[in-house]
Amino acid sequence: MIHIFFEKRLYSSGFIRIAITICAIIFALLAGGVFLYTIGVNPFSAYSNVCSQIFTNKWGIEDLLLKMSPLMLTGISVALAAKMRLWNIGADGQFYMGACAATWVALTFGGSGNSLMLLPLMFLAGVTAGALWIFIPAFFKAHFNVNDIITTLLMNYIAISLVDYFLFGSWRDPNSLNFPITALFPPAAALPMIKNINLHIGFLIGIFIILLIYFFLEKSRFGIYVNIVGNNPNAAQYSGVNKKRLIILIMMISGAIAGLAGVIELTGVHHRLQQNISLGYGYTGIIVTWLSRAHPLGVIFNAFFMAFIFVGGEIMQMSAGIPVAMIYLFQGIILFSVLGSDVFAEYKLKIKKTA
Amino acid sequence: METTAIEWIVIVLVSAVKMGTPILFGTLGGVISERAGVINLGMEGLMLIGALTSFVVKLYTGSTILAVSAAAFVAGAATFLHALVCISMRASQIASGLALTMFGTGVSGLLGDSLTGKTVAPLMDIKLPILSSIPLIGKIFFMQDALVYFSYISVAVIWYLLFYTRIGLNIRSMGEAPEVCDSIGLSVMKYRYAAVIIGGMMVGIGGAYFPMVLTSFWVDNLTAGRGWIAVALVIFAFWHPGKAMFGAYLFGAAISLQLRLQLIDIKISPYFLAMFPFILTIIALIIATIRNNKKKIAVMPASLGEAFFRGEKH
Repeated sequence: MIHIFFEKRLYSSGFIRIAITICAIIFALLAGGVFLYTIGVNPFSAYSNVCSQIFTNKWGIEDLLLKMSPLMLTGISVALAAKMRLWNIGADGQFYMGACAATWVALTFGGSGNSLMLLPLMFLAGVTAGALWIFIPAFFKAHFNVNDIITTLLMNYIAISLVDYFLFGSWRDPNSLNFPITALFPPAAALPMIKNINLHIGFLIGIFIILLIYFFLEKSRFGIYVNIVGNNPNAAQYSGVNKKRLIILIMMISGAIAGLAGVIELTGVHHRLQQNISLGYGYTGIIVTWLSRAHPLGVIFNAFFMAFIFVGGEIMQMSAGIPVAMIYLFQGIILFSVLGSDVFAEYKLKIKKTA
Repeated sequence: METTAIEWIVIVLVSAVKMGTPILFGTLGGVISERAGVINLGMEGLMLIGALTSFVVKLYTGSTILAVSAAAFVAGAATFLHALVCISMRASQIASGLALTMFGTGVSGLLGDSLTGKTVAPLMDIKLPILSSIPLIGKIFFMQDALVYFSYISVAVIWYLLFYTRIGLNIRSMGEAPEVCDSIGLSVMKYRYAAVIIGGMMVGIGGAYFPMVLTSFWVDNLTAGRGWIAVALVIFAFWHPGKAMFGAYLFGAAISLQLRLQLIDIKISPYFLAMFPFILTIIALIIATIRNNKKKIAVMPASLGEAFFRGEKH
């Protein structure tokens, strides 16, 4: 008989963890390559094509940073909730609601002369909408422990229908030839660009928010409460923290950040509301969180990595006509692979022959 | 000819059973899996995998039995990944389930891309002798397609298996106290693997119902969130196959009503109507959870979501 079992490692280090995660990602790329091969694409030439396109062109890097911007925000949004053992699977919906509210501001006040206030108002509306969109799941999670995974996720479907309602209804641009898109926003509604590079300042906002959350969690008294509740929900009862209020607050901040991502994508990239402004960025936030183990600074790095998958998917779509679904396939495989690999950081796989 | 109110209601209810059937299969799959202590949040992805597999097989062989079996088999194989990662590799069941949904969405979108626009013949309704002549009930429940009848049988079999057999008792014990099961010599691994994979196969059959009966074609994201409704229904049904049936038809009715209302001239936007089943699911989940909280004995399997390792009690 051959016995296969796990034996606890005597010591585990950060180095082992990182090495194992890298192995898991390489494994995921190989496994993803199998699927590429089944649809008649040589995975190795596809991968090298992606790398050479990204790293030999200026636009490749720019595109990478552009895609990274919403992913940093949805990533930190999910990660913040995860710090309290809460799941925000609804970042996609909050993203859309943020964009939706900002669009309302742009369409309502865009024509008026006061262009200086337009962008701040759009941001305010978007952030508020994102926070409110998670309120119902947050409230019922806090007070009745209603499953936050399912409620936040179902809100995504409602959000997308709501966006459709506006796009196919009163917001549709009469000159759009019946496409479900709004009119282009006035220039005052566009996010400023960073000098010398084709990238909007949303990227910097993303970094700033992550640092803010980092210091908030590490240095503030409030952050200590979050860690207490997250690490030991029962201890929180005795430490005098109002757990219910904290759950609602943290989830609403999480929603607000996802809403912010929506406004940034709207004002920095699309300049009008249309369908599919999020390519599932909210869901990608979950992977970013998992890869970084909810550590804010890890979010920056892993948002970069996931942006690579998105840009890679886009390049494959343009050069070989591979459907965008490829991106979700890769994300699923990567998450599976990294999840499965985690055990090896703590345990060794042992194979023993017995008589 | 004007349809009378009764006729209209019967039409809605007949389609409620059809709309509810994929959700019922999904919920049954979730019930089996969660009774053994493993959450499967990959249902939406599994349904898509099942739907695409059955569509492809039906397209090339014309056989519904082969198509549905293939859907169950491939969905079961995909669920094996979930089982491997969260049972053997001890990872988070929630994250692993989400990975399965992403994987299913991706793989079905990728491989199904070239099949958009093709159609298969829909499954015919079969009148069951005697039963179909019962007034109203007969028309609603016994003039349906073979897969609907299969779902009735599944409910009965799973109900009996879970609550009236030794195997079922063992499965339920895996979800309540796996360490006890282990100490009396039952293999937690084997039971959990079996329950999760059989559950996943049921979800795959639920996915197959879409191209076999409801749509006859394949389109990206065909299941449109019904897998998630099934995830919520497992809780709404208090992990019970009989209540799952009731819940699935309730939601089937909501979806069917939504589609019917779009056809008649009313002043509600179809985009608002599309939200209706999801809003109803959230409300149902909230009510079910509050009711569950009030019960003295918890209905939810006590070890749901927890990995089991022998000899590692903390």
